[in-house]
Amino acid sequence: MARIFVIDDDEQLLRMVGLMLERGGHNITLINNPLDGLEQIKADKPDLLVLDVMMPNMSGHDLAREIRADANIEELPILVITARSQEVDRTTALKSGADDYLSKPVTSQELMERVDNLLAKKGGQTSPETGIIITAFGLRGGVGQTTLAVNLAAALRRASQQEVCLVDLSPSGGQAVMHMRLQARSSWLDLPAENELDWAVLKNRLIIHPSGLRVLAAPAKPQDPSSISGDRVHHILNLLKHHVAFTVVDAPHVYSPAFLQAVTMADMGLHIITPEVVSVQTAVQLNRLLNKAGIQVKRKSHILNQHTPEAQLPQTAVERGLNNKVAFQIGYDTNQARAIAQGVPLTLTSAKSGLPNVVRRMSEAIWQRVSTKSL
Amino acid sequence: MSTAFGKRNIINLDLFTDAYRVTGRASVGIGGIHAELGNPNSKYLELQDAYISRIHTPGDIVANYQVAAFRKDNINFIVLQDRREGIPVGTQHGRSIFTRGRSIPIFLTVPSFEIAGEAMHEGKFSAREILVQSMGSFQLVFSAKASASLYPDISYSGDLILVHKDRIGIFCLDNNKK
Repeated sequence: MARIFVIDDDEQLLRMVGLMLERGGHNITLINNPLDGLEQIKADKPDLLVLDVMMPNMSGHDLAREIRADANIEELPILVITARSQEVDRTTALKSGADDYLSKPVTSQELMERVDNLLAKKGGQTSPETGIIITAFGLRGGVGQTTLAVNLAAALRRASQQEVCLVDLSPSGGQAVMHMRLQARSSWLDLPAENELDWAVLKNRLIIHPSGLRVLAAPAKPQDPSSISGDRVHHILNLLKHHVAFTVVDAPHVYSPAFLQAVTMADMGLHIITPEVVSVQTAVQLNRLLNKAGIQVKRKSHILNQHTPEAQLPQTAVERGLNNKVAFQIGYDTNQARAIAQGVPLTLTSAKSGLPNVVRRMSEAIWQRVSTKSL
Repeated sequence: MSTAFGKRNIINLDLFTDAYRVTGRASVGIGGIHAELGNPNSKYLELQDAYISRIHTPGDIVANYQVAAFRKDNINFIVLQDRREGIPVGTQHGRSIFTRGRSIPIFLTVPSFEIAGEAMHEGKFSAREILVQSMGSFQLVFSAKASASLYPDISYSGDLILVHKDRIGIFCLDNNKK
């Protein structure tokens, strides 16, 4: 979360830009007068400044020049937003000291992209050279796998401020978009053939959540599991690996080529189970199948998600059954049903209940390991 | 904003006189800025939040005022990023009178600027026909680019540029290009 100042004399636009940035998880200060803004910047030293050009008393260009001339605040990243949309305006903005330029009207997606780029540059954050693929998987449905994938992707986005993409590979009617109240105008089913599918095409088909998280949706209607091949999954994940810092895959609950590809390509596999006999048995069978097929899931963790108020099995019994330790245990969360109904992932709210707490911890641990290059 | 005469919108525009560029906002009805320019009841166009730059340093703002009025005769051209802010482009039942016909590449000059783009015209393709038959005192140039004659690096692009016909020095068209 970054501290961002927004300076614009137009109150409506000020509020609108503030709202977009707030939804992206930032801490916003709105200022409607450039002279006051300069004083506040000197006093509070924000992480980033979003600045209008056309303002009475002092233009955005003059304010940018003042900031660059003051040794205490000269490093402040400045994003200029203006109704003057000509090339010459962009050049003038950059010459006056702005780091980037956007012309009005501004979309939430554009704004978040520019803000993220500037923040990443400022922090000197290391984005991984190739992206990290995290696959949530398991052959038993209804264990909260999509919930975990959605929340993990949202939390990673918030923790890292890097490009994060959620891929919903479910053939049985996509639910990830419902968790975020998004409309899936396109899905992996509509993507062109592999030889025509490059990053530009794929990027266009990704839906953008207001938090900045990108989503490759599953088709709204149930499909034959063979409608997405292993080769296609490989191609999609390969593109994402080279253009996105983190890809979180919600794997299908079917032992299909698409499932195997999602699991094989994962840099980190999260095997989701619930504390019930059938779930543990299915997990054991899957582990055997993968072993038999010679598939080693990299950095595999078992996540025990208690999705009902009462657990059938204690954690020790689950671990005995799996012959493996449980890496994270998520307690029953009464807020989760409401969060799905409202279409807001819990990790994007201030909720401090079981699921968001554990998932935030996971995402911070992953980001720390990636940024220190220990993953 | 609604009035007794119907809905009005606020649009952003760049307006050019002989030596100045003015960015501001205008209140227009369903006929767009073209209808405001053609309104016979006023010789003036009013802009809100006007920011003024000199033509040779178009990025630098030399003055700004909450309201500025312009004599329509002295406006050389107006740049819009969306043609729907300039004219009614039509409905699902058909194109409007402004967007009917075929498009033809044109080139014209006004003081300090040369403008290239496309004109929409029904009927015979001749410069005279286009200028005489097009409605009002401003010629519509679609997908247009205006370049400063003395400062070729300075140019302005817009989905629609409205050029004052009385200010046009040279008007050329190319029948063969489309």
